[in-house]
Amino acid sequence: MSQPVVPDPIIRLVDVHKRFGDLIVLDGVNMEIARGKTTTILGASGSGKSVMIKHVVGLLAPDAGEVWVGDVNMAVAKPRQKLDVRKRFGMLFQHGALFDNLTAGENVAFPLQYHTKLSAAERQKVAQEKLELVELEKFYDAPTASLSGGQRKRVGLARAIVMEPEVVVFDEPNSGLDPITSATIDQLIRRMQQQLGITFVIITHDIVQAVEVSDWIGFLHKGELLEYAPTEQFLATRHRVVREFMKRYVDVPDVDEAELVDP
Amino acid sequence: MIGDLLAKLGEFGQFVAAFSVASVRNPPPVVRTIEEAYRIGVQSLPILLIVSVFVGTNLSVQGHNAFEQLGGQAMVGTFVALAGVREMAPIMVASMVAAKAGTEMASQIAVMRIQEQIDALEVMAIDPLWFLVTPRLLGILVVLPALTMISVATLLVAAWVVAVSQLGLNGADFIAQCADTTRGADLVYGQVKAFVFAIIICLVSCFYGYTSPKGAKGVGQATNAAVVVSAVVCAVLNYLLSELLYG
Repeated sequence: MSQPVVPDPIIRLVDVHKRFGDLIVLDGVNMEIARGKTTTILGASGSGKSVMIKHVVGLLAPDAGEVWVGDVNMAVAKPRQKLDVRKRFGMLFQHGALFDNLTAGENVAFPLQYHTKLSAAERQKVAQEKLELVELEKFYDAPTASLSGGQRKRVGLARAIVMEPEVVVFDEPNSGLDPITSATIDQLIRRMQQQLGITFVIITHDIVQAVEVSDWIGFLHKGELLEYAPTEQFLATRHRVVREFMKRYVDVPDVDEAELVDP
Repeated sequence: MIGDLLAKLGEFGQFVAAFSVASVRNPPPVVRTIEEAYRIGVQSLPILLIVSVFVGTNLSVQGHNAFEQLGGQAMVGTFVALAGVREMAPIMVASMVAAKAGTEMASQIAVMRIQEQIDALEVMAIDPLWFLVTPRLLGILVVLPALTMISVATLLVAAWVVAVSQLGLNGADFIAQCADTTRGADLVYGQVKAFVFAIIICLVSCFYGYTSPKGAKGVGQATNAAVVVSAVVCAVLNYLLSELLYG
């Protein structure tokens, strides 16, 4: 795949390889992610999306290749450098990853306790503001166990943005949610991206969500990035695998069979 | 088999090294340490008191049975003090705490691993080893020696009650035998053992939780391994420490 020109990239993956035992998970991935935009990485289960994003936040190190966040190569960064980079990140995990012994509000305020000198009252105020952004302002004192799946994700999102990060990563934000709650999350992502101007990186297999919220979309297949382009161009892909993946859910422009490309 | 054991030991060594670095680089989490100490103490105390009482009663009864045949009933106090203070109390407390608090540490951390809470800590730039292990270790280091002293006292009182009320021994003589046998150093050595056992129980339990395989089965395996390995290592160390301190 020829590399698209991405304006002002904040994240760059350069020829990233990763394998677990005999299983090749990432096979020479090259990708740049634009600052201040929403980029979605699509792919079927097992395509390597989660592994790829774990490289970006430094949870995994590549076997070969470089993972740049700003001017730090996470592949070889020292622990202190990784910590500094992570302070610029927020992440919404697939199931929220909330701490069950804390209330919703305490979960949101949690990073502030360890990375700021704010008083308890100030932390609570900031956390309350973030809960308002995700429309859960009345849930500060709610035990985490009492929250629904959608509410847990929204609390997780509030926690992800509480430190006002440069980049927020979403791991399958709509998995396990009903269509109405999914649509609410999509609206929230779109609105927050516009309000806050943060770089959003989403990994999902939900093509409808990807088209709804993304400026750029990439498609990962068996560890290879088959397609990566701005959303409109992505929909006109010539890759047979990508088109097959998309056309059950969204309208894909017709293309002459002879023009299709196989992996 | 030996290869697996060595690999596990290597993994454990890396875990301890990483935890040590994390603990040095970050300030001690005082509030969470107090919470952990309170929780471990409160959790373990009731069962420990019950077991200590009945170990004390049985030491009296068995000591009496053994020495009666030799006409040495007067040795029961000595026997209780030697066996109870030097050996039974430290290893019994370690086993109870491994079973109650150690399993909870392993299962809690394993569940946090499954639910991606440990990944979340890392992404929030909070060192998970410092956050999860340091307060638990400091907490258990505070509590285990204290529990050992409580166990010693409970065991001796229970043994005295049985010796006097059931076996008809002279209470003052019993106390005098205990006092003659038990030196101040015995109590200090008991604390040394408790200190070592606390480190083993916490690090082993946290290690198995932290490196747990995914899924419900993984949590079960981690919990089981934590209590089995902690108990076996503490038993072996109890022997070695006794040899070293009393041999």
